[in-house]
Amino acid sequence: MLQRTFAALRHKTRTWARKRHGIDSDPLTLSGRRIYIVPSALGIAFALMLFAMFLGAMNYANNLALGLTFMLGALALTAMHYCHRNLAGVQIRSAACEPVFAGQTARFRIALENDAKVARYELVIANEYGIAQPARIESGARVVLDLEVPAPQRGSLQLDSFEITTRHPFGLFRAWAYLNMDVRCVVYPKPGPRGLPPPPLETDTGGAQDTRRGDEDFAGLRAFHAGDSPRRIAWKVYAREQGLQVKVYAGTAVTSHSFDWEGLPGLGTEARLSQLCRWIEDAYAAGRAFGLRLPGVEIAPNVGPGHRQRCLTALALFDEQAANG
Amino acid sequence: MAEEARAIAPSLPSPGDRGRGAHVPSPALRGRVWVGADWPPTLQRLVWVIAGLTLAVVPHVAHIKIWILVLASAAAGLRVAMEVKQWKMLARWLRSLLAFVALLAVLLDYRTLNGVDAGTALLIVMAGMKLLETKTVRDLTVIVFLSYFALFAAFLYNQSLLRLPYMIVTAWLLTVTLMRIHQTTTSMPVREAIGITARMFAQSLPLAVLLFLLFPRLPGQFWSVVPARGAATTGLSDEMSPGDVSELSVSSALAFRAKFLGLLPPARERYWRGPVLHDFDGRTWRQPRSPFMPQAVTVAGATYEYDLMLEPHQRRWIFALDVPTTWPKRLATRTADLQLLSGFDRPISTLTSFHLESATTYTVSEPLPNLMRLVDTRLPRDRNARSIALAREMRERAGSDEAFIAAVLAKFRDEEYFYTLEPPRLQLDSIDDFLFNTRRGFCEHFASAFTVLARAAGIPSRVVTGYQGGELNPLSGYLLIRQSDAHAWSEVWLGERGWVRIDPTAAVAPERIEKGIEAALADSGESLPGSFLRQSALLSQLRLTWDAANTFWNNQVVAFGEAQQRWLLEQLNIGDADWEQLGIGLVLTLVAFFALLSAYLTWRFRPRAKDPLAQIYEQMCRKLARHGMPRAPHEGPTDYVTRVLQTKPELAQQLVEARKIYVALRYGPRSWGPQLNRSELSRLKFIVNQLKV
Repeated sequence: MLQRTFAALRHKTRTWARKRHGIDSDPLTLSGRRIYIVPSALGIAFALMLFAMFLGAMNYANNLALGLTFMLGALALTAMHYCHRNLAGVQIRSAACEPVFAGQTARFRIALENDAKVARYELVIANEYGIAQPARIESGARVVLDLEVPAPQRGSLQLDSFEITTRHPFGLFRAWAYLNMDVRCVVYPKPGPRGLPPPPLETDTGGAQDTRRGDEDFAGLRAFHAGDSPRRIAWKVYAREQGLQVKVYAGTAVTSHSFDWEGLPGLGTEARLSQLCRWIEDAYAAGRAFGLRLPGVEIAPNVGPGHRQRCLTALALFDEQAANG
Repeated sequence: MAEEARAIAPSLPSPGDRGRGAHVPSPALRGRVWVGADWPPTLQRLVWVIAGLTLAVVPHVAHIKIWILVLASAAAGLRVAMEVKQWKMLARWLRSLLAFVALLAVLLDYRTLNGVDAGTALLIVMAGMKLLETKTVRDLTVIVFLSYFALFAAFLYNQSLLRLPYMIVTAWLLTVTLMRIHQTTTSMPVREAIGITARMFAQSLPLAVLLFLLFPRLPGQFWSVVPARGAATTGLSDEMSPGDVSELSVSSALAFRAKFLGLLPPARERYWRGPVLHDFDGRTWRQPRSPFMPQAVTVAGATYEYDLMLEPHQRRWIFALDVPTTWPKRLATRTADLQLLSGFDRPISTLTSFHLESATTYTVSEPLPNLMRLVDTRLPRDRNARSIALAREMRERAGSDEAFIAAVLAKFRDEEYFYTLEPPRLQLDSIDDFLFNTRRGFCEHFASAFTVLARAAGIPSRVVTGYQGGELNPLSGYLLIRQSDAHAWSEVWLGERGWVRIDPTAAVAPERIEKGIEAALADSGESLPGSFLRQSALLSQLRLTWDAANTFWNNQVVAFGEAQQRWLLEQLNIGDADWEQLGIGLVLTLVAFFALLSAYLTWRFRPRAKDPLAQIYEQMCRKLARHGMPRAPHEGPTDYVTRVLQTKPELAQQLVEARKIYVALRYGPRSWGPQLNRSELSRLKFIVNQLKV
């Protein structure tokens, strides 16, 4: 009950803070004005102890006991300033975020930099899903921390607001700031089941194909470069004293899949995307070339991790309203 | 709050997960060697916390019951063993049971949980019990808080200057511990923690001092206090048996100080009156159960005006010089025995001072009340028969009371009676045994014997306990009266002359009265502890200097109160300050403190200075950015300048040179060195400054 109230309250302040500060720039230097600070539970216990000490010292008219009480009180107030300063001026920037499949957990990488002349201690970033390990940042150094956010749906996942917190030096105070950076992570559709066989390989012929690959059809001659295979030297041409030429062959027998949105009739949008995703993953794993055709998107057949990423991103961001609706 | 209860265990990253986010110690932190450096961090923390607690408890060792210390140490030892051997924690119900039993034991032993003694005992026991369940950082923090409180309680027992350094160092180490247990990423080197906390202490000190000076002091107490027992171990008691005062004489502890505003009374007049004893059971003198009617006193001659500053002794007695004539009526009363008592609810439990006036020549002008005469001539019937017979015989021979007294004193002086610190034990009829057998005694033996003889002769008489003498500290002008100055003498009622002081010790050892106890004991070859210190001139000087420092400490710091506060404010030209003004002063102090500390911390956390080359380059980028051509984050100097020149070809000459110098300095061969770079650097600076977009 109490916890739920706290959670609701926390949510409310977070929303309020976002309204107040807007979306933060990236990188962001944390200004002192947006840092909030309150005593922690230990701080309240410490204050109660100081109050008891104060009453005792006044009652016994004991000046040294009173002096100790004031000293500890002043120390706590000094600690409050240290706590605030430990956070103020930290530079926060987002670092790369690896795409994930829907249903997995996205790791947002947040870099904290300290350009002050002294070290900063015990910096913690946290969101509603978890807490990163506390970090100590030496003067002029940078640490990269991970924030996890579950990614239930495909699309572009935004790192919702998160907090940066510190309790340095004594844990008596908790200083924190709400951050709302526009950091996004691509979430691919979840690969569908392996039930449906992929469309058969297509063997394309003709010049439209990749000119660098294949060696079936003679495509012409070019000048010799050091390193060319001697078997490809056109000796006949050389014999005609037309210089050292190399025979070039091109693009036959390049086989590829063509994964087509239209090839999956009778399925819903998400199901189709999942199926396409499964095919792409399998083809990629097998090292086969594939192309992708979506309404409004056409990606020519190719291979390699970059190509896979392009295709999966196209799937992820396809008709985003549909994904979020 | 859940994250606060971080377990200690996973706090330090294992070497494996240094990769992301984990802190890699800088070279300065590596390779430092100190005891326990290779212990696991959880054990280190625990040991530090226990060490801090121990330091805070040590000042209590003298007055706390031994079983409490044993229990707390056992708990600490058990907890360390659990950590080292990786034993399981005790079950929750067992811990609760132990804590409850400990609480009950304190309650049974001290019969209360109120007051300093029981409170301190409870604090220490509970810190031990808390140790047994210590698992998280929060638990450790609670132990540190309890240690702070133990330190606080130690001040309630003793506020001496001598202890101050120890207390400061302990408070500091506790703070270091507090900081180190809150470092969860890596264990903070001790030296670093010491440095940071020292800086924080230094920064807090001004605020603490101002709070101390400005915070309004309240007269009196909020609730009545069970006095601390430890402080009452030395000092006079309200009864006197043979041997009591001589026991006290071994202690050189300070009893009180007196500062005379005018003349100093001569040494033989320095009798400081304490409890007056009337009831005698043959061995022990006691105060009467019911008070007498007071008698009026006529003062003849001058009075002495002085400030009396009493060390806490947990009794109501104010050791005024002989007969107090003026005293603060609100705070103290004078009894029928002419003893000054502080109010019922305010025993002298802290250093307390009184402004008094006393007379040494006076007459009690009213007749002796019958009840007093009855009590002061009563002797236990079946005791000390030989002494009573002797007294009656001497009284008959003397003819008058005065002659009888002179005869008794002459007997002490002329016959074989000795003044000694170590008198032999006395039989049941103590006066007979003393007068006829042992003949060796300290002041209480002589006072007791004299009073019994006087009573046997029909003269009303009583025993007065208190102090006699005092040493003048020329540096501070104070008279120091120690426990070793404790004394006992007699007063006899001589009709017209009223109560007359008779000091039989003066007859046996006149040096005791004139020169103090050491002179009196010198003949017998006896010495008091610490008397060596008093004999060497240099050491004596040192001792008196130390005492002057102590006096200052006691007057200005320990006894700082309403009066000193008012004086201080008057010095600041704030006469007649009221609470409201003090409040405003406090708020202003706080605001100023916050502002100064903020400014300091802003300065301390200022960005590191960039190297001069980067500064000039950034200046150039800023200049260009102001005119719509900011450098994109991915652009290097070459690409950037090329892009700028596409829109602003007129800058080509300057920018190309600037780029050439910058690239050469930034990326060129290292062998150039800083000296060679200087001219290039100033050239670049010049170009950038001339740059007009």
